[in-house]
Amino acid sequence: MKTPREQTLHTRRQFLRTSMLGGALASTVPLFLEKTFLTLDSMAAATPGQYATGKDGTILVVLQMAGGNDGINTLVPFGDDAYYRARPKIGLPANQILRISDYAGLHPQLTGIRDLYGLGNLGLIQGVGYPNPNRSHFRSTEIWQTASDAERNETEGWLGRYFDNCCKGADPTVGVAIGNQTPQAFASPNPQGVAFSNPEQFRYMSDAASDPNSANMFVREMNTPDQEVEGTIHGAVSDNSGGTIGMIDGAGNNSGSTVEFLQRTALGAQMSSDKILAITRKTKSSVDYPHTQLGNSLNLVSRLIAGGLPTRVYYVSQGGFDTHANQLPTHDRLMTDLNGSLSSFVKDLKAQGNFDRVLMISFSEFGRRVAENASGGTDHGAAAPLFVLGGGVKPGLFGAYPSLTNLYQGDLRFSTDFRSVYATALEKWLGAPSEQVLGKKFPLLPFI
Amino acid sequence: MFAPLSEKLWNRTLAAHLLNRAGFGGTPSEIYSLESLGPAKAVESFFTAEDDGDLFPVPPLTLPAERFVYQQKLKSAVSEDEKKILRSAFNASQRDSMRDLRLWWLNRMRYTSAPLLEKVTLFWHGHFATSNQKVENPWLMWQQNETLRSYALGKFPDLLKAMSRDPAMIKWLDLGTSKKNHPNENFARELMELFSLGEGHYTEKDVQESARAFTGYRVDQQTGFFKMVSHDFDPGMKSFMGRIGSFNGDEIIDIIVAQPQCARFIGRKLWKYFVSDNPSDQTVEEVACLLRSNGYDIGATLRVIFKSQDFYSSAVIHQQIKGPVQWMIQTTKLLEIPLPDAKVLENSLTMLGQVVFAPPNVKGWDGGRAWISASTLLYRYNLASYLLSGKAKVLGGGGIKTAVVPLEKLSPLSSRIGPDHLLDPLEFLVFNIRVSAKDRAEFISYLRQYPTPYADSVVRDLMQIMMGTPEFQLC
Repeated sequence: MKTPREQTLHTRRQFLRTSMLGGALASTVPLFLEKTFLTLDSMAAATPGQYATGKDGTILVVLQMAGGNDGINTLVPFGDDAYYRARPKIGLPANQILRISDYAGLHPQLTGIRDLYGLGNLGLIQGVGYPNPNRSHFRSTEIWQTASDAERNETEGWLGRYFDNCCKGADPTVGVAIGNQTPQAFASPNPQGVAFSNPEQFRYMSDAASDPNSANMFVREMNTPDQEVEGTIHGAVSDNSGGTIGMIDGAGNNSGSTVEFLQRTALGAQMSSDKILAITRKTKSSVDYPHTQLGNSLNLVSRLIAGGLPTRVYYVSQGGFDTHANQLPTHDRLMTDLNGSLSSFVKDLKAQGNFDRVLMISFSEFGRRVAENASGGTDHGAAAPLFVLGGGVKPGLFGAYPSLTNLYQGDLRFSTDFRSVYATALEKWLGAPSEQVLGKKFPLLPFI
Repeated sequence: MFAPLSEKLWNRTLAAHLLNRAGFGGTPSEIYSLESLGPAKAVESFFTAEDDGDLFPVPPLTLPAERFVYQQKLKSAVSEDEKKILRSAFNASQRDSMRDLRLWWLNRMRYTSAPLLEKVTLFWHGHFATSNQKVENPWLMWQQNETLRSYALGKFPDLLKAMSRDPAMIKWLDLGTSKKNHPNENFARELMELFSLGEGHYTEKDVQESARAFTGYRVDQQTGFFKMVSHDFDPGMKSFMGRIGSFNGDEIIDIIVAQPQCARFIGRKLWKYFVSDNPSDQTVEEVACLLRSNGYDIGATLRVIFKSQDFYSSAVIHQQIKGPVQWMIQTTKLLEIPLPDAKVLENSLTMLGQVVFAPPNVKGWDGGRAWISASTLLYRYNLASYLLSGKAKVLGGGGIKTAVVPLEKLSPLSSRIGPDHLLDPLEFLVFNIRVSAKDRAEFISYLRQYPTPYADSVVRDLMQIMMGTPEFQLC
């Protein structure tokens, strides 16, 4: 039996022999590349299903519901007359609600999510928001993404600060956003994480007319660092890291010349793109997903998890929640999609045996006004409930449902600061010091 | 302090450097004509270039009066359906307007013969970082762009005052709701934190007091112009940065720009944008000194910088990561092709992280290494392939082709007789500098696979390889 270190070296030699990357990597390579070889090696062993990327590394999936989800028609306070008074047209009939308590229950389409609640895999955190709520989509999204106070303009994302503080020297795929744009939550002075909507496009696609292979090979050569990456590697795999987090001395993004920085990034990009393609071309889901943007995104995430991508944070989004007019059919469709996509995702992760490693949290930039408007819709509001989902979640309703009558400028008052949800995920799930990442200490919640 | 570059050292590499940093790059023949002027005249040519704005007609945008009419119509619409139709038609027209406006500005950058003016305007756009995502009014965004341009090379205090009255800015930082009894502090805070001094150089008290001086600033809904509503203005005494008076907004700005820190803050930012990422404290102090001595004259300051030997040091040349806009304009210039289709352009700049009129937040674009991630770097490589090959599949898109690159012009047949003959001019075209021996050897070994004279396809593929490199990301 080989030690992991021997195995890595062996694999790396094999890799270099067959790889177009050539000899420049010979003696020292960034830690994340070592991990890559380990992953490739375990994949080559053709273990079906699950490939370990480290010991039980935990994974956070963040789901953005963009546009301002109507939290009141998601977790419905059917036991309150004030609900039906405020929403004569769009109030959902009590007999259709999927009851969670005598007061509140889920939107009728959320049957799968109700089942997860019953199985003890789901928590509902009520009245999440922040002081002095902002009702601009742009600004409030920014507040959630940067975890800043409403009065402050921050630019770094909360996940970007997590990567910066806790994942130095990690593989670029430490954060993966499914979509064409890197979310502001990933923003940092040394951006880490990758964003793509289609793995087939997250790669170098030369269109060489003369000889594509040759042109490709030369591009790879040109993107190999001139000097070996400086620094020494500490240990082959650090156990607490999910297989990705370690330090390379002197190889932080800020060191070295600009060209070296670009070369390191280019090399990392190639390795991640190769890995992602290898995984997605090979891994299939055993579960059907809705053919929606969210369904496709979660399907991709589950395959990347199954394939052992060393990612700590995945980011997916669902759009269309800005329901100002004629809300009922639109919101129904959105809830159907959410329910189907999440149910498939959970089923898939359970089949893989990875469900216990995953925590998903949802968020939306704001909830909606308590009272419906004249167009059968709802306008921008404030506090709303959010979902937490996963094998490690303590199930239940957390916090109290905000009063429908004691309002702040027509909107629900928040009782849980959203940064407490972040802090809990950071501390209790990712094992990261939340105060360092969020800039302040926020009370932790009991959902994990 | 900023000794001028010796005439003797002037060469085509330095001329290319000037053209890249004071503008958006250019073709070898443009570089050679700059070289022939000598350093002093070459720098002067950027400041004496005539504003050719009339060559770039502004696309039709919804005027404030038309917007006003629309809002009235919306109010009086009888049914929800009617409102919905009105709204969706209007929103679609605004989206198109925004795309047209972006294309207008990018084309102006691409084709203007006064590139410094556009380069500095882009600098101020990043500095004042106003986004249409909140302003939601392309006409106001255009007005701000023109204001930035008209003060771009003038005196900074004038620009700062103009921005405090700029309607898009008033919307962007909530100045329009700031009144005597409820001053909104957003603008006053950012005025000091982001526009003039930087964090740590003012107190919360300064924010509160100065916010009172900017009360009553409004946008006239029918004309779209600034107006002062005097009964919303707080004329009372304010205590600001150690002085007491019944200050108005302009007087607050005068006090701010009199702080030595303001010159340092602006000097550092100018240096980072035009010269290099990490200026020493001494360099910053020298730029600040210059700014104070000439009354914050941005044009005069840049003249001195562009003529200085510091600007042409080896630690500066080809050491800056091109921003996405710079990358796009410079690449299409060197390939002698127009900008790609508006949709491709918009998608690409979104992917690469620099959409003009939509900076990511109040602080603008970080620039430097923050432009580069695994995703954006791969996208840059693919975008270069797309521009060279014209095949949309490289970007994963369907159908939209781009202009054909005039390969025989970029790489004349007479040069295709051997590796060095081909590479000497081509390397200069693509990189503006001599590449490392290692890279040169790679290019040569690539070419050795093919017979001479090199076919178009070989030259094009070689250029793809050249542009899919870290080196090509630098200017």
